[in-house]
Amino acid sequence: MLSRVADNLYWFGRYIQRAENTARLINVNSNLMLDLPRRISLGWGPLIAIVGAEPEFFELYDEPTEENVVRFLMSDTRYSGSIQSSLHSAREILRISRDTMPRDIWERLNDLYFYVQERGEAAVQRNTRLVFLNQVVSGALLIYGLLATGMSHDVGFQFLRIGTNIEQADMTTRILDVRAARLLETADSPDLTPFENIIWMSVLRSLTAYQMYRRYLRKRVNGAGVLRFLLQNREFPRSVMFCMTTIASTLPQLPNSRKIERAIDRTRALVRDANVEVLLRSPDGIPQLMDEIQIGLGELHGALNEAYFSQ
Amino acid sequence: MAFDWRQYRCEDAYDELFEAAGKPRPAARNLYSYLQSTNAKDLADRRLAADLAIKVMGITFTVYSEGKMLDRAWPFDILPRVIPRTEWERTERGLKQRVTALNHFIQDVYGPQKIVKDGIFPAEILAESVNFRPQCVGVKPKFGVWAHICGSDLVRDRDGTVYVLEDNLRVPSGVSYMLENRMVIKRIWPELFQTTNILPVDDYPAQLYDTLAALSPRPGDTPTIVLLTPGIYNSAYFEHAYLAQQMGIELVEGPDLTVGEDDCVYMRTIYGPKRVDVIYRRIDDLFLDPEAFNPDSLLGAKGLMRAWIKGKVGLANAPGAGVADDKVVYAYVPQMIKYYLGEDAILPNVPSYLCFDPKQREYVLNNLDKLVVKPANESGGYGMMIGPRASKEEHAKFRALIEKNPRNYMAQPTLSLSTGPTITDSGVEARHLDLRPFILSRGESTYVTTGGLTRVALVKGSLVVNSSQGGGSKDTWIVDIDDEAPPVMPPQTQKQGGQ
Repeated sequence: MLSRVADNLYWFGRYIQRAENTARLINVNSNLMLDLPRRISLGWGPLIAIVGAEPEFFELYDEPTEENVVRFLMSDTRYSGSIQSSLHSAREILRISRDTMPRDIWERLNDLYFYVQERGEAAVQRNTRLVFLNQVVSGALLIYGLLATGMSHDVGFQFLRIGTNIEQADMTTRILDVRAARLLETADSPDLTPFENIIWMSVLRSLTAYQMYRRYLRKRVNGAGVLRFLLQNREFPRSVMFCMTTIASTLPQLPNSRKIERAIDRTRALVRDANVEVLLRSPDGIPQLMDEIQIGLGELHGALNEAYFSQ
Repeated sequence: MAFDWRQYRCEDAYDELFEAAGKPRPAARNLYSYLQSTNAKDLADRRLAADLAIKVMGITFTVYSEGKMLDRAWPFDILPRVIPRTEWERTERGLKQRVTALNHFIQDVYGPQKIVKDGIFPAEILAESVNFRPQCVGVKPKFGVWAHICGSDLVRDRDGTVYVLEDNLRVPSGVSYMLENRMVIKRIWPELFQTTNILPVDDYPAQLYDTLAALSPRPGDTPTIVLLTPGIYNSAYFEHAYLAQQMGIELVEGPDLTVGEDDCVYMRTIYGPKRVDVIYRRIDDLFLDPEAFNPDSLLGAKGLMRAWIKGKVGLANAPGAGVADDKVVYAYVPQMIKYYLGEDAILPNVPSYLCFDPKQREYVLNNLDKLVVKPANESGGYGMMIGPRASKEEHAKFRALIEKNPRNYMAQPTLSLSTGPTITDSGVEARHLDLRPFILSRGESTYVTTGGLTRVALVKGSLVVNSSQGGGSKDTWIVDIDDEAPPVMPPQTQKQGGQ
């Protein structure tokens, strides 16, 4: 397998996952806004913080209003992380790697891309947004389905899985980072307390984790429980631990994977050993852990790059 | 109601399917009687089905316009062009003869230059050839073959004579469309394949693979063959991906390749460097190797020329093969055939006037309104002037161009390209067409595609068939009329289609 092709497959996985995650994020925030009273509204700014695009955003827009943020994340082609840009990048990759993936994928991705291109702008409005975002999520899931069932689980497929999972671990930690910081800031404010649960629930929902969390813990939602579940749970596919373990499981099929294994092990230890209750007691605890995990993911990407993509 | 072929206007040029309105040529009789039994709605339905098939199969070509890349559906006409087998066999012999002579010429030019010393070929043409690569002097590629893949353009004049219009020896493209056209047409007219003995074309990828494999410097092994593409912005990218897939070889870009200290070529894989034996390159000479040619090129790989000269990698076509792909050199092909093979050319050249020769130049300048003027080294129909259709200003512009750089121009009489019935928005009408067969040279044997790519000018009266300039294509049928099943009428349901 050519290094360039492996690199492309890795990024294809990431872009599709990113489009899906961004769609969920906007969707959940839209719902959250409906539930919170205006006076304690969290606003839309945190979404920009989650995707780490403040500089790009403020270069293009003045205020993080709902309309601006939604447009920026959904259909703004000037921002490389918007849903439309992510799908565009995935499509450009597929155009040059069509021979490595089943032909159906090309057709389905085209459907999705043209849909987003046609409807994205109109879907900035609340009344059509939900249908649009659901369509993006379904389209992405269809592509995963076709990949999982129609593509040989060869070495190329492993690069797709690595991309998908590293993107998910990245998004999960980003969401936790921003939401936890915000909740901690206002922990003393009695106003927010009744809504704290709603916010933690929305964190779970943006990662489709609410139902699984309830089945797993069978008690009311609270910060420590959510953090533990999304970081350390070994069975939920969007937890950081699950993603890291999935990446580790691809290694037997890859050559020269020693350094990658070490990078994964370091991050896994970091996640496993974190004592969430203790971290929650200090204001910097959670953000610091998230930073460390992010650095770990960065190292993993660097190791992949060195071992395969820049051969 | 069927289309009334008596209304088909085809008397302005030689028509490939009809001797006269309503009177089909023998090879087209089956097709004709079949078309007679279809009605206008059938035809429209089949045309729609073809458009859909092309979209679903993703057959596209790329146009680069206003800084944007556009992926356009391949324009295709569902009425095939038919050539009788006996006629084709002669053309095939002519093409083999021609390419063999061209390869002798290239080898000679980079070697002893006997043809120049013997006064057959003027030294000054060689000296001013932009496609002559001094880096190639003294190189002897395997089997003495330089142009492994050649695409020659054939046109037919009013009297039915087939001429060679040009030989593309650099990176000829179009063969994937020939293959895909056949795939589409089989879906559209399956009945006709039962009644007519249409020779198959799908052997090409296998033949190309064998041609490439024979160039491996490590015989015996299963060679590693790659197709080197400039990338998705190239107009022929679809073809590159298609051929790589059909042959099961790796599609690589310049940055995927490196040349080692040992002068071998390697590709970067996740398992580390892997040695490459043969490169089917689809990028121009000058971008092939920044070390030997254009130092700014990002498309090629540094050191490729070195590897090739040392015999560590096979390159098809060989660098420098384009020296014979020059519209001025072209004029000498009949002499080359005589000189190297001692034979007369089977396929004639279009008469050509070379502007570097003062007498011929004078004739050209005095007859600009009657001639087609072409630059020596452009392809794709760019930079040429069709005299009878050009304005006075254009005549003046070309007069100045020719006077400034006579070596770079040649002129030919305006041929009335043959036509074929084509479905247009205003019914079936005659459109001009040409034919590009592909010839594979392997030293001991030469392969010619069965037919080739028929390109058709979709604009009424136009003579420009290039897809980049509004051309389309047709499937090309080489038909064996001595070995034919009796005609079968289409199934009843279709006859009733529009009633």
